[in-house]
Amino acid sequence: MDRSETQPGVDIVQRMKTPLLSTQDLKIGYTNGKSSHKVVASGLNLQLIEGEFVCLVGPNGAGKSTLLRTLTGLLPALEGDVLLDGKKLEQYTRKELANEISVVLTSPIEVGAMTVTELVAMGRFPFTGLFDRMSAKDWEIVHQSLELVGLKDFEKRMIHKLSDGERQKVMIARALAQEPRILVLDEPTAYLDLPGRVSIMNLMHELVVMHGKTVLTSTHDLDLAMRSADRFWLMSQQGEILQGAPEDLVLSGDFQRIFARDRISFDLMNGHFSVTGNSAGEVCLNGGGEVRVWTERALQRVGYSVNEDRDTCTGLRIDIAPDQSGYLWVLEEEGGTRQFGDLESLVKHLRALSFREN
Amino acid sequence: MIKQKTKNSGIFLILVGLLLLVVALNLSLGSVRIPLSEIFKALTGQPGIKDSWVYIVNNYRLPKIITAILAGMALSAAGLQMQTIFRNPLADPYILGINSGASLGVAIAVMGSSLAGGLFIPSLSIGGDLGLVGAASLGAGAVMGLILLVGRRVQNPTTLLILGLMFGLATGALVSLLIYFSEPEKVKAYSIWSYGAFNGVTWQQLKVLLPVVLFALGLLAFLPKGLNALLLGEDYAKTMGLNVSRLRFLILVSSSVLSGAVTAFCGPIGFIGVAVPHIARNVFKTSNHKLLIPAVILIGAIVAVSADLVAQMPGNQFVLPINVVTSLFGAPFVLWIVLKRNRGSTSFNV
Repeated sequence: MDRSETQPGVDIVQRMKTPLLSTQDLKIGYTNGKSSHKVVASGLNLQLIEGEFVCLVGPNGAGKSTLLRTLTGLLPALEGDVLLDGKKLEQYTRKELANEISVVLTSPIEVGAMTVTELVAMGRFPFTGLFDRMSAKDWEIVHQSLELVGLKDFEKRMIHKLSDGERQKVMIARALAQEPRILVLDEPTAYLDLPGRVSIMNLMHELVVMHGKTVLTSTHDLDLAMRSADRFWLMSQQGEILQGAPEDLVLSGDFQRIFARDRISFDLMNGHFSVTGNSAGEVCLNGGGEVRVWTERALQRVGYSVNEDRDTCTGLRIDIAPDQSGYLWVLEEEGGTRQFGDLESLVKHLRALSFREN
Repeated sequence: MIKQKTKNSGIFLILVGLLLLVVALNLSLGSVRIPLSEIFKALTGQPGIKDSWVYIVNNYRLPKIITAILAGMALSAAGLQMQTIFRNPLADPYILGINSGASLGVAIAVMGSSLAGGLFIPSLSIGGDLGLVGAASLGAGAVMGLILLVGRRVQNPTTLLILGLMFGLATGALVSLLIYFSEPEKVKAYSIWSYGAFNGVTWQQLKVLLPVVLFALGLLAFLPKGLNALLLGEDYAKTMGLNVSRLRFLILVSSSVLSGAVTAFCGPIGFIGVAVPHIARNVFKTSNHKLLIPAVILIGAIVAVSADLVAQMPGNQFVLPINVVTSLFGAPFVLWIVLKRNRGSTSFNV
């Protein structure tokens, strides 16, 4: 017996799982001239479900932008279909599409002499007439959008006087003012500093979790994306795309495989990428707590790995000893010990040591 | 918001006053100085003033000023549209070689008959005025169309300018070729035209220029929304539901007719088209085309009439070619824009 028909709860789950945007055997790429194509990816069957936050990740040049441009109707599909709400994308007019999808693009906009409100008000373009007359309701939506991105007091500020992160938030507010069902962002964090990246990623997460939006974004900030996305679309250099929760993709090894690069590996325990240089040797580290963590990082920087097992350790011995003004690092060498007052001098010494040996 | 609106209305009032002032000065000053009270009499047809003054005002200065106003409005409006569609602060009909396209159109109309054995438009007769405007607009449209086609993929503003320069040189070469094979009197007619002037336009010709310019400016009244969207780039404009190819076509028609018509009657005039949109952005502190379009039209008229005032060199018998005046003032202005850009500000900053 198929129990799902008798259980209303499953029914809701089923309905939620009907994708808002999906692709069928989609082939994407560029047409150069009349007959030659540059195929970026093919055979794509992707689903974006209402109310989820999907991050499109993958190495540089995998074709993330091409995919997003195809999904938003800016670039025609080479083959296959993009279905929005079950209807083919090309059956929508530009105006109808503007009601469904709004975008934030990578390249910074080059416009000054415009207030934040004026720019966000452009989000109402699909709804205003030929002469762009804004109704009270239109203004209301503009103000709400600004409030949603946390820029309520910025209305009269000039665009070119904002920080990059603030400007990107204004662009997101503009996209929100379009009242779309799907928000598509192409590397919205690309030009931002770290706090800016965190802030934009949080904002997107909030829009999904607290305001029920559907968000699809490409990003290079894997660490941040992993902490906030519901699902990843993991795109390889060869144009294959794997879907799944970020954690599942890590555990299955797909994540590491796609991002595999010389001397860079994904640390399964820490969840971030690290440089694995030529090993300069082993260190037996004696000491604990936060000093140990940061000492290990300093040692890794000069190519030394820390052997956790003290019995088998054959390399250099370093003891961390508390000192009245901080810490003291004691290095045992042939013919005696040497003390260092800070990690800078320790690292300098080790670097000279490994240089001499090579 | 309301405070800003009253402020803008105030600026518009001042600009209208400024326009009236330069028009009055231009009517009064020149090789012969005519007092304003007498000019008023001449305009309203009152008796008791010198016949020669009536003649100068009605048949020389008035049509010249109307031409200057139309030319200033048209070139500035064309410049604004081009700066927006190319997303380039230095775009204008002159710099992008679109004027050269218009010149080529005129050159073919004037001199082409010697090549094609009289197949072409019957030269500079009054009956040919509309044909001349048509030829100039087509020439302008052809070059602008080409630049739009090639320049769409060009991200770098400098590349676009080089493109315009090359098109200008190429069309210039074609004009030289025409000159080489033409009869002397036709060459002379062409070279006089190419100096550029507001004063050669007759009432009869204004009957063509006025409606053509007003038509193209009228077209512009439907474009502020689209032009605003283009400020963010074509991709954003598309995702906002705009028909970008139609918009691009309308801008192409409007700006080539505007620059073509003016070039046909006044010759190539530089720098007004590039400078006025910047003045308007600086005065009103906005990139919003709803405000910029009327602002640019008004300021363009003021600048053109003022340039003509300088060209007349009041109290002197000489009259400078208008292009000399606009270039002398315009070139440093463009330099200033370039240097300001290099200090790291983006294209449309004030």
